[in-house]
Amino acid sequence: MKTGFSVFLAAFVALGLSWCGLVYGPLKQLGGAQETTVLQSTDKWPVQRTGDATLGLQVYRANGCAACHTELVHQTGAANVLTLTDIGVHKAADLKDFTTSLLGTVSELTTASNTVVANLAGWNGELPKVIYSGADDTVVSMLGDKFKAVGVKTEARVIATGADIARGWGTRQSVAADYLYDSPVQFGSLRAGPDLANIGVRAPDLNWQLQHLYAPRSLVKNSTMPAFRYLFTVKKIGAQPAPDALVLPKEFSPATGFEVVPTDEARQLAAYLVSLKNNAPLYEAPFTPITAAK
Amino acid sequence: MSDENKNCCSPETGEPTATRSSAPMWIIVVTLVLLFTGGLFLDSHSGWFDKNVYAPYQSREQLESIQPKSGEKQLLARGKAVYESVCGICHGSDGLGKPGQAPALAGSEWVMAKGASRLAHIPLAGVAGAIQVGGKDWNMNMAAMGAALPDEDVAAVLTYIRSSWGNKADAVTADDVKKVRAEIGKSPQPYSGSQLLKMPE
Ligand code: HEC
Ligand code: HEC
Repeated sequence: MKTGFSVFLAAFVALGLSWCGLVYGPLKQLGGAQETTVLQSTDKWPVQRTGDATLGLQVYRANGCAACHTELVHQTGAANVLTLTDIGVHKAADLKDFTTSLLGTVSELTTASNTVVANLAGWNGELPKVIYSGADDTVVSMLGDKFKAVGVKTEARVIATGADIARGWGTRQSVAADYLYDSPVQFGSLRAGPDLANIGVRAPDLNWQLQHLYAPRSLVKNSTMPAFRYLFTVKKIGAQPAPDALVLPKEFSPATGFEVVPTDEARQLAAYLVSLKNNAPLYEAPFTPITAAK
Repeated sequence: MSDENKNCCSPETGEPTATRSSAPMWIIVVTLVLLFTGGLFLDSHSGWFDKNVYAPYQSREQLESIQPKSGEKQLLARGKAVYESVCGICHGSDGLGKPGQAPALAGSEWVMAKGASRLAHIPLAGVAGAIQVGGKDWNMNMAAMGAALPDEDVAAVLTYIRSSWGNKADAVTADDVKKVRAEIGKSPQPYSGSQLLKMPE
């Protein structure tokens, strides 16, 4: 074969290039990942799991929860939002006209002022009220300064936007830093159930988690999540009821004289679920937490 | 009929051999156009493979521009955290200092200077030797306790000490700190009180 060497070379280059793109590139990019810092604080991120929660990841993996659940919040955009928090001596009904007279003459703010006025149409005075949302942060801070000068308090916030965030699954998208201590990472790919990246924020109660695992329908009407009963033991009540026995509604409780006790695995899994929180603002996934005020 | 036979498989032509022919022009054009659009797409969407740039953000600059500004509250909260973990051991969490350990920050004229420049030299480079604080003489040493902290943290802690325990002075920004740090250079030497006094506030 005259062309043998060329064929070998071509194959080598083709495989080598894909190795560079699929293995070496990502390794260079994210390989040396380390703890980062939460925005505007000295807290480290991510928080390392301890005890039961660490073991719970393996229970989550072993039970194939990732077949129906993702741990990955998506985001499609971000916006600077200005919210009214206090209108001082002004009246809600007059604020629209007042805004026009305050901002109408500032040429950079003409469009913004029109938006604000449109947002105030039909407003009944309920606070906080979102009055402006846009990509440009200078407009937001100029608006804020104008209002501040006349005793109207506003709050400028950066928010993440997207369908997942509107569903309440998180306040920002998931980024690589969130998974630093997860091994193996449980992204999942199918969402038969809700995303769990922030289930520890939504449902921080261990007992709720345990009961939901034992009998999803006792908490969520018509839930299609399978009941993981084998993570619990049903046993005869001894001299004293077990302190950690589940408190179940009547239709779900075992026969009288029996109680449902979580196994170690169930406890670990629940601890893991409660530890799932991707809710700190990071440099690569910024947003303003609720406490900020101008 | 006979022509076709010749071209196809008539045995007389013998073994077929590969000949060279130039690639058609349209393939070259299409490839170049694809490469060009690919390049444009990569330029606007890749964030240059920066590990901190995730879609929907498309570049570092865009990510920088969306970073939330620290409100005063956050700055103070962060400053307090830094103070308690770095400065509080000596200056006390009430800012009153500790006899024989460190002078007071509450009511100190060093802390409430008009500008932040002179003050920022103290945590970034340290102070040594005689120094007067609120009419009392001190003659000790403070190492560059803030040299290892990021600019934002130094700015936060200085803002905190300038607005706590009854102190009232303007906030300090990370840019102020950056300037002073650049002025001091890589290997800071502690200043003496008289050196500090010669600096603009
Ligand atoms: C067959 C698909 C399926 C599997 C497998 C599955 N789930 Fe679910 N899960 C669902 C569905 C559907 C829901 C929504 C209804 C509900 O809340 O019960 C849900 C809801 C949840 C919730 C509540 C979410 C919320 O936002 O309230 C948690 C927590 C949860 N699942 C954990 C698990 C864990 C842990 C496992 C593995 C042991 C698991 N799921 C396996 C389908 C599944
Ligand atoms: C190891 C103890 C120690 C720590 C920690 C420390 N200081 Fe000091 N600090 C001193 C001493 C001692 C002096 C007086 C130095 C002298 O006599 O020359 C001083 C003086 C000062 C002064 C000038 C005098 C005054 O009271 O106004 C300021 C301002 C100051 N420190 C700020 C800080 C800040 C900010 C931090 C935290 C980043 C810090 N210090 C951490 C010991 C300390």
